[in-house]
Amino acid sequence: MAAVMVEEAAGFSFDLCRRNASLDKLGIKPPNVRKTGTTIVGVVYKDGVVLGADTRATEGDIVCDKNCEKIHYIAPNIWCCGAGTAADTENVTGMISSTLELHRYSTGRRSRVVTALTLLKEHLFKYQGHVSAALVLGGVDNTGPHLHTVYPHGSTDTLPYATMGSGSLAAMAVFEAKYKENLTREEAIDLVASAIKAGIFNDLGSGSNVDVCVITKDGKEMLRNFETPNPRTYNRSKGYVFPRGHTPVLSSSVKKLGDLVTVEDASPAAGELEAMEVDQKP
Amino acid sequence: MDPGMDFSGPQWTANEVQLGTTIMAVEFDGGVVMGADSRTSTGNYVSNRASNKITALTDNVYICRSGSAADTQTISDYVRYFLNQHVVEKGAPADVKTAANLVKQMAYQNKNNLQAGMIVAGWDKHLGGQVYGIPLGGTLLRLPFTIGGSGSSYIYGFCDQAYKEKMTQQECEDFVIKAVSLAMARDGSSGGVIRTATITEKGVERKMIPGDKLPLWFEEIPVEPGFRPFAKPAEEATTAA
Amino acid sequence: MDKGPHGHVERPSWSPYDNNGGTAVAVAGEDYCVIAADTRMSTGFSILTRDHTKLFKVSDKCVLASAGFQADAKTLQKTLDARHQQYQHKHNKEISCPAMAQLLSNTLYYKRFFPYYTFNLLGGLDNEGKGCVYTYDAIGSYERTGYSCQGSGQQLVMPVLDNQLKSASPLVLPAVSSATPLSEAEAMDLIKDTFASAGERDIYTGDAVEIIIINRKGIRKEVLPLKKD
Repeated sequence: MAAVMVEEAAGFSFDLCRRNASLDKLGIKPPNVRKTGTTIVGVVYKDGVVLGADTRATEGDIVCDKNCEKIHYIAPNIWCCGAGTAADTENVTGMISSTLELHRYSTGRRSRVVTALTLLKEHLFKYQGHVSAALVLGGVDNTGPHLHTVYPHGSTDTLPYATMGSGSLAAMAVFEAKYKENLTREEAIDLVASAIKAGIFNDLGSGSNVDVCVITKDGKEMLRNFETPNPRTYNRSKGYVFPRGHTPVLSSSVKKLGDLVTVEDASPAAGELEAMEVDQKP
Repeated sequence: MDPGMDFSGPQWTANEVQLGTTIMAVEFDGGVVMGADSRTSTGNYVSNRASNKITALTDNVYICRSGSAADTQTISDYVRYFLNQHVVEKGAPADVKTAANLVKQMAYQNKNNLQAGMIVAGWDKHLGGQVYGIPLGGTLLRLPFTIGGSGSSYIYGFCDQAYKEKMTQQECEDFVIKAVSLAMARDGSSGGVIRTATITEKGVERKMIPGDKLPLWFEEIPVEPGFRPFAKPAEEATTAA
Repeated sequence: MDKGPHGHVERPSWSPYDNNGGTAVAVAGEDYCVIAADTRMSTGFSILTRDHTKLFKVSDKCVLASAGFQADAKTLQKTLDARHQQYQHKHNKEISCPAMAQLLSNTLYYKRFFPYYTFNLLGGLDNEGKGCVYTYDAIGSYERTGYSCQGSGQQLVMPVLDNQLKSASPLVLPAVSSATPLSEAEAMDLIKDTFASAGERDIYTGDAVEIIIINRKGIRKEVLPLKKD
């Protein structure tokens, strides 16, 4: 074992940038990333915040996950809907939630939404929009309920109702038509669900089910698949059963692994056992 | 193929949030009045119609932001942090000039990576009400009044004609509302409500004029009487942010 | 590429084409042909309409399905319809499906260097009353098959059809029938499931599927609703 441990630098690794640039010159395309065309929303109501999201993830024009989760954990009292590149939203929310957890251990206080907001915007601004995470951040802390949007370049807004993602226009249309102040919990959930459904049905990047998360000062309630408005409309009566032998066997050969390896007795010698016991002493 | 025709994936993440804006600040006898519209856009889409582009740096100094939302928010966050530290060390309110200088420093030293046009204004006991313009490259100018943002080009003539020295507070606020509403009427990237901040020796007074209470200019259509986009109490809701 | 007055390569900043998506499937049997297409028409990430038919009835024994660019598909349909009128005046009979297949190929190739951005399937009954499916590329290359698929869901659907219906090569000697061995009901069952599946994974396929069945009794249409997300 080498005696010297090289400490890994923090942050992203840019080791392959030069290689990738020369591959790019040769006309080799980089791999496709999973960009979730998305509808995510949030609304502040009387006692807290309601967040909502669709559950479709796409790669180009193909749906790659029909029931993914886009409402991410930040802290027990703070949750965050993510749109944009899936890897970025997952990792950026993960990083900030871990920072906040350590912060809670050190301060012994509940996390605040502004803290999460500031950490997120500082990170995203540092990467100048290359970390493409568009977020709706909501939570309840000691100062009350809060709702924010965060853009990939690091700008933030504070709003009573917010939408993000490719379906944000469809969802915002619903909010602009139906929002009112001091909604009840049920009204807020209904409004969020219909805004998400506007995205699901009118934006091709959004689809499948409605996820809802209600956050109050007393805790959160995750309503996963709150609505499932898109059941399959037809199933083949025969199904797709392939009977044994359906695929013809053209040829077969069997190689016995035992002929290729030598089996040795691996039970430890007496001396080695003693050494192990010594090692185990504290 | 035209990048606009590339349907291989959603492109909305690529557009930066811009404060296509009208902002201004005017000195008057005893203080300053700052004014701004409330529109924030991403491309053609109004992503926030009730935004606050007049941000506090300290109790007595505020900043009007135009350009990239991310850049100007970051600059004002940094300046607020440094300035508050400075105020604690000094044990007295910050000078407006000091605040403006800090903003300039950030804007000038990082000019290649920023798109930020800002106006710093406030009141201190040495020079009274002051207005400092910090346009794109990081120049710092003290002016009796200044305008900024995409909407400002529509109202240079008006402002040059209507500005008077030693206005009263009321005259000054009327001037700002008139100028910003004129710009909002012509500039597609400005709109929403008008927010103002009046800073004097006594402190700050903030006002919001709703979109349907703004003066109407040439060929503008009044809001139908009794029309409310929301059910009853929501009028303030969208503008409270 | 020509150099413009400013010395650099100039390209038009707009495209004469759009892709309005959509999937078409056709299956031929010994005495029938089923041809189907979804009714969603979209551009980019928006749905333009949920009720747009991609099927065009050329004659009582011949139906055309076109995915791709709606404006080109419409122009193509009008052209073919006009040519069919002329044919009827000249020959005093409806055109046969194989003849229309050749005419469609000629019409597409006529615009070889400014193609119709359409992906076509032609289905119907041939002169012997046997089901036939013709499948095309955008510039008129075509082939008679027993089944085929075109449009945005092609990559998803074609392997399933191959798996379920794979038939002998048309080049095999002695000649083997190009029609699939399925019954009409089995073909309907498969096509409906195919569209339900494509609608699950292809964002441009959905809303509803129109299915036209051509057999010796005549021609009829069925509509199956699909997912609307």
